[in-house]
Amino acid sequence: MQTKTTKTILLNEWRLLAADRTLRIVLPLFVVLFAYALANGMAWVRFQEHTVQVVRDGNVQRTDALERDLTAIENGGQPSSPFRDPRSANVMGGPRGARSVALDPGPLTALAVGQSDLLPYYYDVSIYTNESTFLQNGEVENPLNLMVGRFDLAFVAVYLLPLLVLAMSFNVLSGEREQGTLALTLSQPVSARRFVTVKLAFRALLVMAAAVGVSLAGILISGGFGSSGPLGRVLLWCAALTVYALFWFSLTAWINSLGRSSSWNATVLVGAWLVLVVVLPAAINIAAGLLHPLPSRVEMITAQREASNDAVNRRSELLARYLEDHPELAGGGDADEPNRAALAWAATDAVNRRLEAVSERHRMGRDEQNDLVRRYRFLSPALLVQELLIDAAGTGDARFARFQSQVRAFAGQWQSFFVPAILAGEKMSADVLPTLPDFNFVDESLGDVGQRATVPLSALIILVGLVGVGAWVGLGRVRGAG
Amino acid sequence: MESGPESRMKNANKILTADESETPADSAGAALAPALEARSLTKRYEEVEAVVGLDLRVGPSEIYCLLGPNGAGKTTTIHLFLGFLEPTSGSAHVMGLDVAEEPLKSKTHLAYVPEQVMLYRNLSGLENLAYFAALGGKESLSTGRLTEILGEAGLEADAVHSRVSAYSKGMRQKVGIAIAIAKEADALLLDEPTSGLDPEASNEFSELLEQLKDRGVAVLMATHDLFRAKETGTRVGIMRHGRLVAEMTTDEIGHADLERIYLEHMHE
Repeated sequence: MQTKTTKTILLNEWRLLAADRTLRIVLPLFVVLFAYALANGMAWVRFQEHTVQVVRDGNVQRTDALERDLTAIENGGQPSSPFRDPRSANVMGGPRGARSVALDPGPLTALAVGQSDLLPYYYDVSIYTNESTFLQNGEVENPLNLMVGRFDLAFVAVYLLPLLVLAMSFNVLSGEREQGTLALTLSQPVSARRFVTVKLAFRALLVMAAAVGVSLAGILISGGFGSSGPLGRVLLWCAALTVYALFWFSLTAWINSLGRSSSWNATVLVGAWLVLVVVLPAAINIAAGLLHPLPSRVEMITAQREASNDAVNRRSELLARYLEDHPELAGGGDADEPNRAALAWAATDAVNRRLEAVSERHRMGRDEQNDLVRRYRFLSPALLVQELLIDAAGTGDARFARFQSQVRAFAGQWQSFFVPAILAGEKMSADVLPTLPDFNFVDESLGDVGQRATVPLSALIILVGLVGVGAWVGLGRVRGAG
Repeated sequence: MESGPESRMKNANKILTADESETPADSAGAALAPALEARSLTKRYEEVEAVVGLDLRVGPSEIYCLLGPNGAGKTTTIHLFLGFLEPTSGSAHVMGLDVAEEPLKSKTHLAYVPEQVMLYRNLSGLENLAYFAALGGKESLSTGRLTEILGEAGLEADAVHSRVSAYSKGMRQKVGIAIAIAKEADALLLDEPTSGLDPEASNEFSELLEQLKDRGVAVLMATHDLFRAKETGTRVGIMRHGRLVAEMTTDEIGHADLERIYLEHMHE
C-alpha cells in the first residue's frame, strides 16, 4: 500500500511539474547556470594547464641555455659577463638556472577552482628562494574574482543550489493547503509526513539529477576521469552535494510543518539562506581577520629591504658568522678572503633569517585564523560544503599547503646542493646539470582526502539529521488542512 | 410504546444532553452496525468547547444531516471523523476503527467532500480523479472506468479532459463526488457540499447522494440547508455550542416542523 501511495504521489508530481510553467522555467535556467559555471571552471583549467606548460618549458629552455653556454666555455668561449657565468654555483643555482616547479590542476578543478586563483601553483626555486617567495602570487588576477570567488560549479552549488531547492519546495505543504488540495489529500489514507517526504524526494531527485549530471559531464569533458584517483573524489563531490541539498530540503520540510503561509515560509527560508550562506561565513572571516590580523605584505617587503641593506653593509661579518655556524662548509672558503659569491650568499642567508621571523608571525596568524574558521564552520553548512567540494576537487588549502611544503623542502635541497660549492668557490660544468636536484610533487592520496572530509561531512550529516528530525516531528503533527 | 404523528413530533423535539441521549440502537438508521460512530466525542480549544460529549451513530444506507449555525461544531465533528483533529476526550470510529488509533486505516473506508472541493488546477478532472482515486487505493481503475464515474457524478463528457481551472464550483463538487464513488467508501463525510450551488446543481447533488445511499454508503452531511436536509436526509441532528441538542428522523416531521424546531433551539 505504501509503495503504491509513493508511486501515486510521484506520478502526480510529474504531472504537476509537466503542467507547471514556473518549474519548467526555473529548472532549465539552473541547468544553464550549471553549464556556464562548468564552462568557467574549464576555462580556468585550460589557463592553469597552459601556465604550467609554459613554466615547465621555461625549465627546459634554461637548462638548454646553461648547457649550451657551458659547452661553449669548455670549448674556449667566454661568458658574456661574470654575473652570467654558468660555471659559478651562484649563477647556476640562482635565477639563471632556477628550477621552476608547478602544481598541475586538481583532478576536479573544472568543477571547483577553489584556491587555485588565490594561492600560487608554481614557483621559481633558486638559492635565493626564501619565505617571501611563498607569500607572493605571480599572477595578476581580477580582484573581484578573488573577493567573491569564481563563478564555478562549487559557487553555484554553495550559493545558488539552496535557492533552487527553496524555489522548488518552499510551499510544498503550505501551497497544497492554500490551494485547498491538502484537505482532499489528507482525507485519503496517506499521512502528511509521507506526502511531503515523497514530494520533496521527487524534487530532490530532479535537483540532484541536474547538479550531479552536470558535474559528471564536466568531469568527463575535462578528462577528470583520466587522472589518478578521481572516482573517490567524484563520490565525495556527489556526496557533499547531496547532503547539502538534503539539508535545504529538510529545512523546507521543517518550515512547512509549522503550518504557516507560503509567503511566511519563503521569507524565513530566504532569511535562513542569507544568514547561513552569506552572513555567517562573512562574519566568521571578518572575525578571523580582526582577532588574528596577519602582518601586512608591506611589512614583509620593508623587512626584506632593511635586511638586504643591512646585510650588504655587513657582508664580510655575516660570512664569517655563517662559516662559524656551519664549520662543515668552511673547508673550501676563507673568511678573510671571501669570494664575491660567498659574500652574496652570506647576505642572502642573513636576509632569509630576518624574513623567517616575519614569516613565522604571518604563519602563526594564518594558522590562528584558520583555527577560528575551522572551529566555527559548523555553524554554516555552506562553509562545510565549500570545504568538502574544493577538497574533493583538489583545489583546497591542504593540497596547496602540501605543494608549498614540498617546494620548501626542494628549495632546501637546491641550496644544500649549491651553497657548499659557492663557499668553496667550485666551478660548475655541463656534467653537473643531470645531477641537479629534481622536483617531483607527491600528490595527496585518496585516503588523505577522505580523512580530511570525515569531520565536515559528518557535521553536515548531523546537521541534516537534526533538521530532519525537526521536520519529521513537525510533519507528524500535521493532521489536517487547517 | 407510543405511536402516531404526535408521539413522533414529541420525540423529534426532545432536547438531548450527553447524559440522557437516546442510545444509537434506538435510532432508525442505526440498527445495522454503524459505519460512523462518535462516543462522548469532545474537542476543546483552550476556553472554547467546539464539540462536547457527542454520541452519534450513522449506519449504512443512512444520510445523517447535521444542522446548526456557524460555530456549532458541525465541521469539527467531520474533522474529528477524518482524523484532522485529535479529540480532547471520547472517540470517533469508522467501521469500528478508532480514528485516533488507526488514522490511515480508518480513512480507507472514508470519502470526504468539503464545502469547496479544491483540485489541482493545472490538471484535468480526469487526472485529478485518477490521482485521488489511486491515493485512496483504487490505482487500478482504467481511464474508461474513471470517465464513466465522472459521468455518473454528472460531469459533462466534454469537461472530463479540461483543466480544472476552468471548472465551476458545481463541476468541482461533482469531481469530489466522483472521487468518493471511485473509492467505493463505506462512509461519506460532506461539509456543506451544496453551499453556493444553484438549485439545479443542488438537486443533482441530492440525487447523487440518494444513489450512494442506495449502494449502502453511510453519509454524514453538515449543512445549513434545512430543505435539503429534510428532502435528502434520513435523520437530522441539530447542534448548538458543540452539543447535539436534537435528533429526529426526517419521515417523522415536515419541512415546517423542522424549521420550527431548528429556530426554537437557536433562540434558546
